Amino acid sequence: MIKRLTVLSLLFLLVFPLSAYAGIPLDTVKGHVNSILDVLRDPAFKGESAKKMKKEKIRVISEKMFDFTELSRRTLGQNWNKFNASQQKDFIELYRSILEDAYVDKIISYTDEKVSFNKENTLTEKTTEVQTTIITKKADIPISYRVISRGDTWRVYDVVIEGVSLISNYRSQFKEILMNKTPDALLDTLRKKVGKA
Amino acid sequence: MKQTNIYLLALITCVVILVPSLYADSSSPVSESPAQVSKEISGTAQQPKPETMAVEKTSETEAESEFSEEEGNAITIADPLYPLNKAMYHFNDKLYFWILKPVAKGYSSVMPEDIRIVTRNFFSNLMTPVRFVSSLLQLRIKDAGNELVRFVYNSTAGVLGLADAAKADFNIVRRDEDVGQALGSYGIGHGFYIVWPFIGPSSLRDTVGLAGDYFLDPVSYVNPTEASFGIMAYDEVNETSLRIGDYEDLKKAAIDPYVSIRNAYIQHRQKKVDE
Repeated sequence: MIKRLTVLSLLFLLVFPLSAYAGIPLDTVKGHVNSILDVLRDPAFKGESAKKMKKEKIRVISEKMFDFTELSRRTLGQNWNKFNASQQKDFIELYRSILEDAYVDKIISYTDEKVSFNKENTLTEKTTEVQTTIITKKADIPISYRVISRGDTWRVYDVVIEGVSLISNYRSQFKEILMNKTPDALLDTLRKKVGKA
Repeated sequence: MKQTNIYLLALITCVVILVPSLYADSSSPVSESPAQVSKEISGTAQQPKPETMAVEKTSETEAESEFSEEEGNAITIADPLYPLNKAMYHFNDKLYFWILKPVAKGYSSVMPEDIRIVTRNFFSNLMTPVRFVSSLLQLRIKDAGNELVRFVYNSTAGVLGLADAAKADFNIVRRDEDVGQALGSYGIGHGFYIVWPFIGPSSLRDTVGLAGDYFLDPVSYVNPTEASFGIMAYDEVNETSLRIGDYEDLKKAAIDPYVSIRNAYIQHRQKKVDE
């Protein structure tokens, strides 16, 4: 009886693979986060000298994980159209560097933290939110990744930490700057920030 | 007792200021809650704001109209006290780097992390009345009950609240509730942004909430007042010792830290109210 049930349920799995489809955004995020965790825990990368190699590895993963163009466009919002093509290109690159400088050191400092992947929340036809929690000794930090469908994969365009959306936060800052400055002046500000770090 | 009177006076003053601002809010273009904004948008569908129209004209993809929607839903807050707030921001920034952080660092070098976490649990357990009453004010009976169960269990099995036994044994987790959130759940907007010295980012509504929290915090009733403030300061140092680096990271990531913190504050509060 149990055997038949097993066979039956296996058949069901084969016939209805659609149920697995719903989990693709979550699995995509999970895959990337786990490969970052693997880099962090790799005993081959212990010590100060390996820091640079770790950073490089994480940068490669983040390139696959994020859609920096989408992230930049959504951050600038209506101001995006005030930038010409080459300014947009510069902006994406500078913004990416700033985010990298800001967050990679933090990520590298993680050691024994666990990540739980909680659930998916469909936002629109093309976008979904994957809710996760970083469990540390001191506190549990809720982090959501907003992903957009890109061909056969999903790319992150926003990260929401304790309810604070990354792109909304930067948008509020860029908006104030662009109120009385030109896109070129903003790019200069960003260049200075990247150069300093 | 005298001190209690002062706070009561402060509370009443705040309410007097808040009530008219409530009415002003409904007509003001700066709205705090996304729900309100979306209502406004649907209400004035025939005459969209000029900005929105401009984007619609130039929009090439469906994704772009999604941005403007996203932007329309963005939470903003009025900041009429900007010069004063900015001065207070600088004051708090110096307070952190010159006093709070060095003290917290010294403290954490003599106090192991485990003990600091236990200390935090102890203070958190003491604050139960704040969360209990705030849950009740929102008619969240289950949350209020959970707080009560947590308090009894953590005070006994968790030894005076030193351990979060209710979370470990029954997975009854703490929900951060405060009077400001309860006011928010009634649909009361922030009013405007206020940066208090020592306390940090707040708003008109949350300031009223803080006054309420103060009354509900047992530590406020410790006599003499110096001792009461001493305990609060110790709690603050203990908490800071567990968060050293967070503020630095936030500042490092920001292009304009003042704007970034203001935005993070209202986004974070919005999430708390929505929950």
